[in-house]
Amino acid sequence: MKNPILKIDNLESYYGPIMAIRGVSLVVNEGQIVTVLGANGAGKTTLLKTISGIMDPEKGTISLMGENIQGIEPDKIVKKGITHVPEGREVFPILTVEENLKMGAFSRTDRENILVDLNLVYDYFPILRSCKLQQAGTLSGGQQQMMAIGRGLMARPKVMLLDEPSLGLSPLLTKDIFKIIKRLNVEQGVTMILVEQNAKVALNIANYGYVMELGRIVMSDESSKLINSKDIQEFYLGQNNEPSERGQKRWKQKKTWR
Amino acid sequence: MVSKGKIPEQVEVAGIKINKNLSEGPYFVDGKDTLAKLWKLRCETSGHKVAHREKKFGIWSSYSWDNFYKCSRLIGLALISMGLNRGEVVSILSEDSKEWIYTDLAIQSVGGISSGVYPTDSARQLAYLVNDSDSKFLFLENDEQLDKYLSVADQMPKLSKVIVYEKDGLADFNDPRVIFLDELYEIGEMELEKLNGSFEESIEEGSSDDTSILIYTSGTTGDPKGVEITGNNIMFSISAGGQSLPVNNMDEQLCFLPLCHILERLISVFQPIGAGSVINFAESPETVFDNLREISPTIFTAVPRVWERLYSRVSIMIGDATPFGRWAFNTALSAGMKKVRAEDQNKSIPLSYLFWNLVLLRNMRRMLGMDNLRRGTTGAAPISPELLTWFRAIGVKIFEGYGMSESAGIISLNYQGNEKNGTVGSVIPGAKLRIGENDEIQYKGGNCFKGYWRKPEKTNETFTSDGWMRTGDIGLIDSEGFLTITGRMKDIIITAGGKNITPSEIENRLKFSPYISDTIIIGDKRKFVSCLVMIDQENVEKFAQDNRISFSDFASLCAAKEIVELIGNIVEDVNRDFARVEQIKKFRLIDILLTAEDDELTATMKLKRGFVEEKHKTLIDEMYL
Repeated sequence: MKNPILKIDNLESYYGPIMAIRGVSLVVNEGQIVTVLGANGAGKTTLLKTISGIMDPEKGTISLMGENIQGIEPDKIVKKGITHVPEGREVFPILTVEENLKMGAFSRTDRENILVDLNLVYDYFPILRSCKLQQAGTLSGGQQQMMAIGRGLMARPKVMLLDEPSLGLSPLLTKDIFKIIKRLNVEQGVTMILVEQNAKVALNIANYGYVMELGRIVMSDESSKLINSKDIQEFYLGQNNEPSERGQKRWKQKKTWR
Repeated sequence: MVSKGKIPEQVEVAGIKINKNLSEGPYFVDGKDTLAKLWKLRCETSGHKVAHREKKFGIWSSYSWDNFYKCSRLIGLALISMGLNRGEVVSILSEDSKEWIYTDLAIQSVGGISSGVYPTDSARQLAYLVNDSDSKFLFLENDEQLDKYLSVADQMPKLSKVIVYEKDGLADFNDPRVIFLDELYEIGEMELEKLNGSFEESIEEGSSDDTSILIYTSGTTGDPKGVEITGNNIMFSISAGGQSLPVNNMDEQLCFLPLCHILERLISVFQPIGAGSVINFAESPETVFDNLREISPTIFTAVPRVWERLYSRVSIMIGDATPFGRWAFNTALSAGMKKVRAEDQNKSIPLSYLFWNLVLLRNMRRMLGMDNLRRGTTGAAPISPELLTWFRAIGVKIFEGYGMSESAGIISLNYQGNEKNGTVGSVIPGAKLRIGENDEIQYKGGNCFKGYWRKPEKTNETFTSDGWMRTGDIGLIDSEGFLTITGRMKDIIITAGGKNITPSEIENRLKFSPYISDTIIIGDKRKFVSCLVMIDQENVEKFAQDNRISFSDFASLCAAKEIVELIGNIVEDVNRDFARVEQIKKFRLIDILLTAEDDELTATMKLKRGFVEEKHKTLIDEMYL
């Protein structure tokens, strides 16, 4: 039995008067990849932002290894071991690749280990080594994503929050990146929360999945079970196991989440 | 008896002429004895006035009575030319729309019988209803319903044509069994050019004793049965209902409950043809509350579930308001309660209510879409008296009524000047009620149905030897004539100890809790009474969130021990009012979120006893281990 490294209870977050997260509870066990699926506007990104301290929750608790961390400044949260790889990568465009990566270790004091970790990142993403002196803004989308993940790793996180790493990437590159994410999880033991639109790849590498809709969790299960759920197949995987007599179907059945 | 063809003495009530003596048929409204004849008259006199409104691409568009007549005539003529004979059935499977009503009136005009199918019914249920009614034609809303038909098409050999209303997504579809509504209109146009007046003739040919519509019972017990309702029944319901709860041609209504249910049919088809009011169609069942706000109807009929949801919307809004807002609302509400008490004692309305009505309650009603509301009505299921009082306190008057498919919608009503909270009102004018053996409510009136479609033995069972209709409900009538319903006869359970228990009495008490959406009492031939509870998702989630109870999905919500405790406390509370043998000893929550498509629920979201007991057998057996 693995221990929960991150436990979220009854979380509520607002954008002004709008309630974006309406009571979310979830558990992430150590060493797991947990994926959060959901349509646009379901509140997935808000959830990550609330965990990493960019937003403060109105209600609810977030506990990292038993310690409540909700509402703490984001830099302190990084020190406690959570890094956030934001949606759309958010690199520093005029800094070089290496400078960008080192920014990830900004809060660390153990200088000698930073170099070791930098090499580790280059080992996982060899392409970054070859362009380490290039300005980050000149990288391709895929390279920027790799760099963003690498930057996240530089903080030596216990938990990594990945917000749509496949955004804007070709299917092939998406596959590569997810392979590396899985390797990082297995080899480096980084626990991950993965938010994705691409439900199929996410469920393939994750151990456990949550489905969010309108700020609430509507379904949760082992990934292997989720992938076989009728609703997930119809609404997230675009599969249709029962084509109608006409051989096509435009209407959607109602979601039941079971 | 008045001889046929001669109109009995008439009297004008709320702008329409009806029989002076409603205890004797045949019934006439404005000199007409069938719905189709009355409808033709309304279309002729109302002309370009608005009959229906529908929201198209975000804008409300109006459709006139002229259009109503023109479209129904085309559909009717086309049906005749395709071989519909008098007395044959046509089924309609669609969400509410003006086409639904056009088709309904077209069928009745040409002497057919129209039968509605719930949009949420499964393909299997569709096949059953089409076959049981021997339908010759079937109208379908769209591609979704068409797929249902196609999956069971081979089981319905007697259907001669299927007509689809909406063509979206079906441009390439080609099937000799299926045509689209515009093609049907074309056939109608061709018939119309022959100028033989066959449509008008067939309206006149209609007799008030002919069956006009079939309403299928929901089938909570056994297979659905088709209830035959005649023109006479409809005219009586219009007359008697209009006398107690008058509707006029300035009224705006919102149509959103399924039209195949007798309640919505009465409210949105019969009454408007009787009174000339305007029907606004909700875009979909999900947008009802938004549409309500846009339309702000003058009369609004809903089932208790909808009133309950309106109540919880307000409660949630207030819960999230500022402390000052909460204080203001609570003060306004207690002023409202004071007003209710003052009204009941015939005292003058307290000034505090006038103040709070002006500054707060009026705005709140506007936010709910009830600022123009003359009255609300509720029926089809029991409603909590406290809820009715609450609405009255915020300035929304709701009248509860009682009826069934077999009585063309109404049996008893509360209305202005004749009301008692907690009862379903007194019997409608011209009809009679009595309590028969085993406390069964028995009814006699002009809207007693003709019989069950092709089930004469069931029909015979429904009428007593002296001609009263058995409602199957148990109840009592007080000294002032107000009826209270306590339960359903078929549901009576006998415990292993030999004690008779009326489950609905206990179930209704439980259902009055905002956290319980429906429940089923179990105990037939069992050692003790237990129950299965379907929780109200919205309110229980809110409770969990407010009390920091963690849950992820519906199943984990039901499993949370605080939630089980919450329901347990409600059960305990209710138990206190019942004798020891009737008390619920154990209960379980149904941890699957049920939708109207599920077999366990009727289209009106009531649990079906039989199905639930079968499907959740393990859950039930667990309680009796």
